[in-house]
Amino acid sequence: MAKLPTPQMLMASRPDFPKAAWLDTKPLFAPGSYCYPEKKDTMELLHMPNPHDWDPSAEDWNLPENWEKILCDAFEERLEKHRSLKLFMDICVRCGACADKCHFFLGTNDPKNMPVLRAELLRSLYRRDHAMLGKILGRKIGARKWDKEVVKELFYYAYQCTECRRCSLFCPYGIDTAEITAIVRELMHEVGLGIHWIMDPVKNCSFTGNHLGIQPHSFKEIVEMLADDCETVTGIRPKTPFNEKGHEILFITPSGDVFADPGIYTFMGYLLLFHELDLDYTFSTYASEGGNFGSFTSFNMAKKLNAKMYAEAKRLGVKWILGGECGHMWRVINQYMETYNGPTPDNMVVPTSPITGTVFKHAAATKMVHITEFTADLIRHGKLNLDPSRNDHIITTFHDSCNPARAMGLLDEPRYILKHVCNHFVEMPENTIREQTFCCGAGSGLNTEEIMELRMRSGMPRGNALRYVQQKFGVNHMACVCAIDRATLPPLADYWAPGVNVSGVHELVANALVMKGEGKRTMDLRQEDLPNVDAEEDQ
Amino acid sequence: MNTQQIFRDKTDKIVKLWVEAVINCYPDRSRPALSSNMDPFTNPVGGMIREAAQGLVLAISGADIQIEQIKKSIERLIKIRAVQALSPGEAIGIIYLFKPILRAEILPQMNKPSSFSEYLDIESRLDTLAMMAFDLYVRDREVLADIRIKEIRNQYAELKRWAQNLNSNAPLGTFTGCGN
Ligand code: SF4
Ligand code: SF4
Repeated sequence: MAKLPTPQMLMASRPDFPKAAWLDTKPLFAPGSYCYPEKKDTMELLHMPNPHDWDPSAEDWNLPENWEKILCDAFEERLEKHRSLKLFMDICVRCGACADKCHFFLGTNDPKNMPVLRAELLRSLYRRDHAMLGKILGRKIGARKWDKEVVKELFYYAYQCTECRRCSLFCPYGIDTAEITAIVRELMHEVGLGIHWIMDPVKNCSFTGNHLGIQPHSFKEIVEMLADDCETVTGIRPKTPFNEKGHEILFITPSGDVFADPGIYTFMGYLLLFHELDLDYTFSTYASEGGNFGSFTSFNMAKKLNAKMYAEAKRLGVKWILGGECGHMWRVINQYMETYNGPTPDNMVVPTSPITGTVFKHAAATKMVHITEFTADLIRHGKLNLDPSRNDHIITTFHDSCNPARAMGLLDEPRYILKHVCNHFVEMPENTIREQTFCCGAGSGLNTEEIMELRMRSGMPRGNALRYVQQKFGVNHMACVCAIDRATLPPLADYWAPGVNVSGVHELVANALVMKGEGKRTMDLRQEDLPNVDAEEDQ
Repeated sequence: MNTQQIFRDKTDKIVKLWVEAVINCYPDRSRPALSSNMDPFTNPVGGMIREAAQGLVLAISGADIQIEQIKKSIERLIKIRAVQALSPGEAIGIIYLFKPILRAEILPQMNKPSSFSEYLDIESRLDTLAMMAFDLYVRDREVLADIRIKEIRNQYAELKRWAQNLNSNAPLGTFTGCGN
């Protein structure tokens, strides 16, 4: 017989309660904390190495027999290839400046989610083979060898980092833990470990074009359905040009905005804006996904999916690409496109706005302009007739999506637009926005529902700041420029700040846009009543 | 001395001890970050613990309070603990971490026939607060389950509408696809 434990004993009985040193405390694969594994046939189709069936919660992950050699060689190869990786392994002084900057650490309070210790998981392996003292002193200086538990741990924490780069902002050496995570995910893929929510879209984008693998004709029909909805709201049915050759512009945006609520309203916003401008553009069904799911997988996969966009630009003979509101698409374009697939096809030229004549010189290399740059420029030149009072029921704030903010420096254009299409705009606290923005908690392919519980803790710093402006200033809306955010922020808001709606910037643009020949607007794009529509006027 | 007077002198200490006790439930390497930074946005959990401590001590002391105000003070802390991979008992058990503190700090002054029943009232208030915390916890877990379902539905919202249109005989406007 045993005595009943006291509440204090129960509270301190967590398995990760510090009995062992931090490096020896192993992660618990509890449901809600890990993503479902990818399917073997998906990996085979994509020619990924060592496809196999496995279950993250099982003891044995069925790793290939020579897994240790595969991993050691793969790590060596990457150290050779990426000088930055070697540098990141060598120069960290463990000053701890990054420790409490990660939303995963702030939400889980798990020390291994401190960027410095997340990187240390890999660095400890590096130290054994590359640091003189590591070879001699081993564990004493934090060096260790590969074993199967280490593989599990690397997997666990590589999918508890959204590659958001907030930590790198605070590191005096600029160590980018996001890049370390990207390498760890690549290493895991070498032994056949990946997650379904990333690999399934990679397969669909590779073979069909959009992330759900919807066939081109059906994809087109769904877009037409959205154009019909535009007509219901405005009386104008925008055109939906697909796969047409000889236009000036190819428009590429995340396909999530064609399928998912509330992203569809942002998509309708694009359709209406382009119609109003009579823009000379086309969509492509093959390059119908701007989001590069490959960038959550490996260098080569990211390169392959990025190439698709330029192949379509070439095939369709367009001069430049206009890109929609997406997060990581822009990181890939801004930081990696040149290395992956540059230079652009010969038919492409430095983008120039056909409406204002503005030359987007910063896009000279990639030939790709962000839609908020394009629209902000239109507003600046007085080319849009806007009635912000149509958004008067909204008090909005703006969530800086990690990639456009930190990997591209797109901070002011979305705000400039919002201030012209809404009369009520409120910023969240200074240390949670712009370069210091907190991630939605589910970027880099972690926006899957099985880890909703993890997402609610990793997204907490964002949700917490949103809740603050909701309670203090009555904020009831959060705009963003990323399709993953449009999917991940609504549940986050429902949990942390219920009552706050989420939308893209161009949904609000289209609501405020007074179009030539439009009918009297009584509804917004969601077909909800607009404010200030007088009952008498209706009669 | 009545309960409120005793609490007046002890509040700061009880708040401090409870904040420490809660922070001590987290892994040792994480504790410095939770206790050193006072900014509510860059150390949100630390801020939540401190906010809850203030509200809870006020309620335990028997002061006149609005139930809603107390709930508001512990809401965020319960929300985060509801999703930190803790058992329900661990998540809300933090309320009972007050008990040893109260017995060390308050009981010695009330351990006499004239005031002992008042001390028991204090501990009973702790039970009420634990029940409130439990209600909040369950509500949060229900929201968590709901948003999972809602997200699955929203992801495929347009696809479903399109598929339903295919099956209906209603005219499909400009549609040219199969099913027409
Ligand atoms: S801030 Fe940079 S140098 Fe300091 S611990 Fe973090 S990664 Fe290392
Ligand atoms: S990149 Fe973002 S998620 Fe990853 S360790 Fe840094 S702050 Fe955390």
